[in-house]
Amino acid sequence: MQKNKSTNHVITSWLWLIVLTIASIFLTSFIDNRIIYVTSALIIVVIKGQQIVDVFMELNKAPRFWRLLLLSYIVLIPLIIAIIYLV
Amino acid sequence: MNTSSIAIASSSSKITDEELSDKKLPGDLAMWFFILAELTVFAIFFIGFAVSEQLNTDIFAQGKAQLHQTSGLINTLALITSSFFVALALSAMHKTQSKKAVYLILIAKVFASIYISVKIWEYLSLFEQGITIETNSFFTLYFLITAFHLMHVLLGMVILSFIAHSAWHDKYNNNDLSGFEAGASYWHMVDLLWIILFPLIYVI
Repeated sequence: MQKNKSTNHVITSWLWLIVLTIASIFLTSFIDNRIIYVTSALIIVVIKGQQIVDVFMELNKAPRFWRLLLLSYIVLIPLIIAIIYLV
Repeated sequence: MNTSSIAIASSSSKITDEELSDKKLPGDLAMWFFILAELTVFAIFFIGFAVSEQLNTDIFAQGKAQLHQTSGLINTLALITSSFFVALALSAMHKTQSKKAVYLILIAKVFASIYISVKIWEYLSLFEQGITIETNSFFTLYFLITAFHLMHVLLGMVILSFIAHSAWHDKYNNNDLSGFEAGASYWHMVDLLWIILFPLIYVI
């Protein structure tokens, strides 16, 4: 039962990743404001990264230190990129 | 402390022990240090690319306009789907379905091959336009970063082949999947890096 739940979680996560990837492409077509589309694209990166770290890498079941280490990477790098592009 | 409070303390410590034992790092610790080292190298590339873009905005805007955004999208979808099948393969291994896991890894490798084919096509079409690594600073970074990532995809495919071979010969048991988990984690790292690379080069 638990294993099936885990498989369903992987499928849901994959669908999310596909939808978010396509959404990030459309951002540039529909949003003219650079600040908004850069911020939106990088927020999408953070959400997608969290899905990969927690669901695909199964770090949601790992010791907190390792999960936070990987999650901090996928938050910090887009944040630094956003600062470089927008400030 | 009375008997009931001792019993409650004892049961809560049992729960904590169970929770602690469930919290296990997938794969080998050595692989995670390797993954951290790879992420650090790519972090320098990402920041270097963003800083260079701010210093050469016109060159980078022209360079990005010459890239094929749809091929970037296809590559992203291919890598995400490949990673998805590797995650499913790990789920199958947890259910002791090693043969099914091998088939899922083969599907993952088909999607990885799509990524490689599209990337090579992209390079060749740029070469046909006379664009090389020496054209300007945008294309220097574009070729360096994407080729470096492509090397990681190729290494990841070798690792996937290795864990598929081991799974096919029942070299893993349900109590110790660390080798399989380590290989899968490496592959997900390759996907994670592309997730950042794709918007940086093709979108923003």
